[in-house]
Amino acid sequence: MAKILMKGNEAIAEAAIKAGCVNYFCYPITPQNEVGEYMARRLPEVGGAFLQGESEVAVGNMLFGAASTGQRVFTTSSSPGISLMQESISYMAGAHLPVVIVNIMRGGPGLGGILPAQSDYFQATKGGGHGDYRLLVLAPSTIQEAVDLMMLSFHLAEKYRNPVMIIGDGMIGQMMEPVEFPEHHEEPELPSNDLWAITGAKGREPRVIKSLFLDPKLLDDNSWNLYDKYARMEREEIRFESYRIKPKNKILIVSYGTMARICQTAIDELEKDGVSVGLFRPITLFPFPSKQIAKEAKKKNIENVLVIEMSTAQMKEDVDLAVLGAKPVKFYGETGGLVPSPDAVKEQIMKLIKNPNDELKRR
Amino acid sequence: MTGSAPTFPAPEFKEPIIAIVGGYGSGKSEVAVNLSHLLVQSQPEPVTIADLDIVNPYFRSREAASQLDKLGIRSIVPEGSLHYADLPIILPQIKGAIENRDGKLVLDVGGDDVGARVLSSLHDAFEKGGYEMLLVINANRPFTSDVAGCMKMLNDIEKSSRLKFTGIISNTHLMEYTTPDTIMDGYRLTQEVATKTKLPIVFLSAMSEIVTGVEPGLIDVPVLLLDRYLLKPWERS
Repeated sequence: MAKILMKGNEAIAEAAIKAGCVNYFCYPITPQNEVGEYMARRLPEVGGAFLQGESEVAVGNMLFGAASTGQRVFTTSSSPGISLMQESISYMAGAHLPVVIVNIMRGGPGLGGILPAQSDYFQATKGGGHGDYRLLVLAPSTIQEAVDLMMLSFHLAEKYRNPVMIIGDGMIGQMMEPVEFPEHHEEPELPSNDLWAITGAKGREPRVIKSLFLDPKLLDDNSWNLYDKYARMEREEIRFESYRIKPKNKILIVSYGTMARICQTAIDELEKDGVSVGLFRPITLFPFPSKQIAKEAKKKNIENVLVIEMSTAQMKEDVDLAVLGAKPVKFYGETGGLVPSPDAVKEQIMKLIKNPNDELKRR
Repeated sequence: MTGSAPTFPAPEFKEPIIAIVGGYGSGKSEVAVNLSHLLVQSQPEPVTIADLDIVNPYFRSREAASQLDKLGIRSIVPEGSLHYADLPIILPQIKGAIENRDGKLVLDVGGDDVGARVLSSLHDAFEKGGYEMLLVINANRPFTSDVAGCMKMLNDIEKSSRLKFTGIISNTHLMEYTTPDTIMDGYRLTQEVATKTKLPIVFLSAMSEIVTGVEPGLIDVPVLLLDRYLLKPWERS
């Protein structure tokens, strides 16, 4: 298919349709409203329906119901709305339901602001809701990658029967870029959803899909079953991208989403000035590419690992855990809708090149 | 390429008010900012740009306000925290500027019929004198990729704004993938829409390094040569 120009929010919506998802529930919130607008327009053309819930709490429960039938379903929201969905996300994880949730992040906490941020990293990767569960978390940095990951996410949700979350900062939702959709969408074969879903009990025993296990032994089993799934994700689903990583580099930057693109501009310009810096960009935030980051950080010439985020050092905790003190891990970031410029990133890099032992200013 | 690049006549406007209207992401803000810059250079009257986009949270012409100020263009944009809001705020100065018709006023209107609804509330001020209302078309956008889509956009906007279009802007591009063919494919679609609606193509807008690659003589309307003002954080001008 030829390239067309799309806003990230529109592209995410179209990608879901192309992946065969015609069930979409949402409640409006900036900066992701174009997804609902687009789906309201497009879904009737492909035999689906868009239903606006009366709140994000309602939407979360609509997802639970739709996913229980084995049909593909997704929602989109932004930070405060995602907070409201946490109860049902925990229920869906506990009930092993495949569902896709997109968070186009804005500044928080609370109502925060409407400009881009990456402050929901903890919420996405460390739970958010209650109980022993995880989400498979994907973080695109371009609109094309948002399309590709969106189409993949339905398959991953079904492969693990677990909610998958795509997190993009507001820029991913609002900016426009040329994108291409595949002519034919193919996925690896999976066992049919009919084996577990609620499809009508004619000729078989009724099924109950639930996260309630009053017998502690059964609840313990369920939690360890979940644990085993997450361990399998760590073996099979780690995704990342390396950029200009070379043996002579003294600094390894770790950054994700659109922040990584700002780092790339800084890195490209420094390269022209003869300063070589590499970037490690996690694409899966859970499972986190800890071993791969540790391997790069431990390389002989690396003096500092520099984490750059639009948050107050949330992903840095995972990088700290990955590197385990083998090298210093420094941080630079802005939040609340402020976006670090390539010049600001270059300045921080040059400070560390000149004085590797310096601590950086917070912003 | 041999010889000198073709030069195109720049658009000129008799009317004091030029409203830039169109679908989401058709390029209205970038066109409005560039047009303001052209007007301040090419004619003696003062130029004002007003951001009427109340449906989009990012990439609005207000983001270029400080640059415009340096170019001598007055901008009417919400101040303080409201600068960052996507609330339905119509500054009273905008109505005043439309009524006064002092110099040239470029209006950057929000996308689709939803964004253009704001014009409806300014209808009386508009009708007090002459104005241009121009439909921006980018043929590479999903809902304006054919004549039927453009006609629907045009009719929906006219209905919600209670104003009639006076012309069309051909603004087809594919960002860094734009070629002279991209521009010409969009121009041909715009010509079809112009024929069907009997509206003139007031100008074609494009990045100068690409539009100069179009075979001479194929574009027979004025051209607005674009610079990028609304950049992504990792882009350099």
